[in-house]
Amino acid sequence: MRDRTLKYLLILPAALIVLGTTIWPLAVSLVTSFRDWRLTRSLAPGPFIGTEHYVIAFTDDPDFANAAMVTALFVLIDVTITVVSALGLALLLRRAGVLQSLTRAVLILPFAVSPALVGISFRFMFNAEMGVFTWLAGVLVPPLQNFVWLADEWAALLVLVFSDAWRWIPYMTLVVLGGLAALPKEPEEAARIDGATELQVLRDVTIPALLPVLAVVAILKTVFALKMFDQVVTLTGGGPGAATTTLAYLVYSIAFRWYDMGYASAVAWILTAILVFLAIWYMKLILRKPGQT
Amino acid sequence: MAEVILRNVTKRWGGFVAVRDQSLTVKDGEFMVLLGPSGCGKTTTMRMVAGLEEPTSGDILIGPNRVNDLPPRERDVAMVFQSYGLYPHMTVADNIGYPLKLRGVRGAERQRQIEAAAAKVELGDLLHRKPRELSGGQRQRVALARAIVRRPQVFLMDEPLSNLDAKLRVSTRAEIKHLQYELGVTTIYVTHDQIEAMTLAHRVAVMSQGEIRQLDTPEAIYDRPADLFVAGFIGSPPMNLVRGEHASGVFTAAGGLRAATRIAGHRGAAMLGIRPEDVTVAPAGAGDLDASVYAVELTGDSVLVTAQAGEARLIAKADRAWRAEPGTTIGLKLDATRLHLFDADTTRRLNPE
Repeated sequence: MRDRTLKYLLILPAALIVLGTTIWPLAVSLVTSFRDWRLTRSLAPGPFIGTEHYVIAFTDDPDFANAAMVTALFVLIDVTITVVSALGLALLLRRAGVLQSLTRAVLILPFAVSPALVGISFRFMFNAEMGVFTWLAGVLVPPLQNFVWLADEWAALLVLVFSDAWRWIPYMTLVVLGGLAALPKEPEEAARIDGATELQVLRDVTIPALLPVLAVVAILKTVFALKMFDQVVTLTGGGPGAATTTLAYLVYSIAFRWYDMGYASAVAWILTAILVFLAIWYMKLILRKPGQT
Repeated sequence: MAEVILRNVTKRWGGFVAVRDQSLTVKDGEFMVLLGPSGCGKTTTMRMVAGLEEPTSGDILIGPNRVNDLPPRERDVAMVFQSYGLYPHMTVADNIGYPLKLRGVRGAERQRQIEAAAAKVELGDLLHRKPRELSGGQRQRVALARAIVRRPQVFLMDEPLSNLDAKLRVSTRAEIKHLQYELGVTTIYVTHDQIEAMTLAHRVAVMSQGEIRQLDTPEAIYDRPADLFVAGFIGSPPMNLVRGEHASGVFTAAGGLRAATRIAGHRGAAMLGIRPEDVTVAPAGAGDLDASVYAVELTGDSVLVTAQAGEARLIAKADRAWRAEPGTTIGLKLDATRLHLFDADTTRRLNPE
């Protein structure tokens, strides 16, 4: 009996910290999302207005619709590029032999850079007058010589994707490389002997066996892309116009530029709901017993 | 179907020599077993024939063609792996049919060939299952069916029975032997199990440290081992080997063992070999030498008697009713026609002139 009490007593500090830093703010923001609370009018939360904020978001807010669209596009392009590149690079690096430990060390570096700094670096590299990428693009494709990347709606979104892909692809390559290393060699060798070309081995044996790992990579990257915020702040500022205003950035704008805490909480909860759904899916996938793939 | 020829093949990994200057001809339709302890180069040899490893030097021929530069898919061989090597996401039927699919065999014709191959290894009812739903024995049958579904020039089998339990191993062994007899396809089979080698092979290549120590029929390898390694490796329990001196046709060892050898020329340190079944127990004083019983082990169909004679310890196979207490003095009789003599320095067999 004493052992049991002690057991819970030892967990208590950690539980209190989680409760205070995660559960409590979540609960407060959920409650706030049902209240009218504009800091421009009052410092104290206002009256409960039911689901009005949620209704507005889905029916009567072009900013929300735009941010949802931008986020969806960003996630789609970012996840596709990351998964395909990580798979491609991992397949190439798989045969690196002795060089593998070196490449692994190099690959982890971009991930060690703070995402806000990634955004700042990319802003310089795409600067219209002195950016190295602006210059390089002009040399390779002369019509792009005077192109101002961050002033074009599509280009700015692509630059944002590029900065995020640069940060994530090497790390995801390591994850896929780990998945490849765990695959048994025999099925691939059997396919080669059965008459398959390297491309057929890849399509018929390697990729199907790697699907669980690729799914994990895709879901994880989706979760991280959905909350894209740092580089938006430091690279594009959400613009031009609202072309790179993601949902996370919109929440920040509503709360700390327009001071509408109630509505910001509602939008934040819509994003949270999507993330929680993906997180549960992800946990189910990685907790699945081996052999069930 | 074709001959497989290895000509002075060497495989090196850095400073390690896995296969050393090996030459070997597997005849058309022959069942060749590569036998040896782990790390002797037998699997590497097979993988070089398959095209999964590149030889450092030397030539590999399948039929009339030098295949060194051909990828595995162009060598027209089929391989069965120790851990099956099945495609886990495909059904049994798709596994067996994959080589056909790659060769453009379609629809009903592919289905017919899959069913024929499955029937040969008695897999008919399992065609829609996934490999993970099968037992080890069933998985290995799927691998066999995938190998026989097309008629390759050569079958390669890499320890196909070692992941199966003892009982299944015996029945699958017989099935492999029957399949090879029926199909008549040149087969190279790798194993570390001497019983598999003896039962399956037309000829056995006994390998050690990257070299073939003896290449011959199972009978010849058992009856006339070429050196001490082969003598000690083949046979269970292994051949008795006694160190001693040999001069003018007589072998003598400390502890009273004397044996006439019919070998006149050799003089010096030698090893006398005799298999346990060629040693019989007799009352003390009635055999070729006396020894003290060390252990008596009943194996079922016989009794293994280990006895100490001087420094040498000999194993004899006795009738299954035979019993004695440890320490009892008994006589041991050696079958003079079944003695083996090896030069202790070169380890090579000495033959009567």
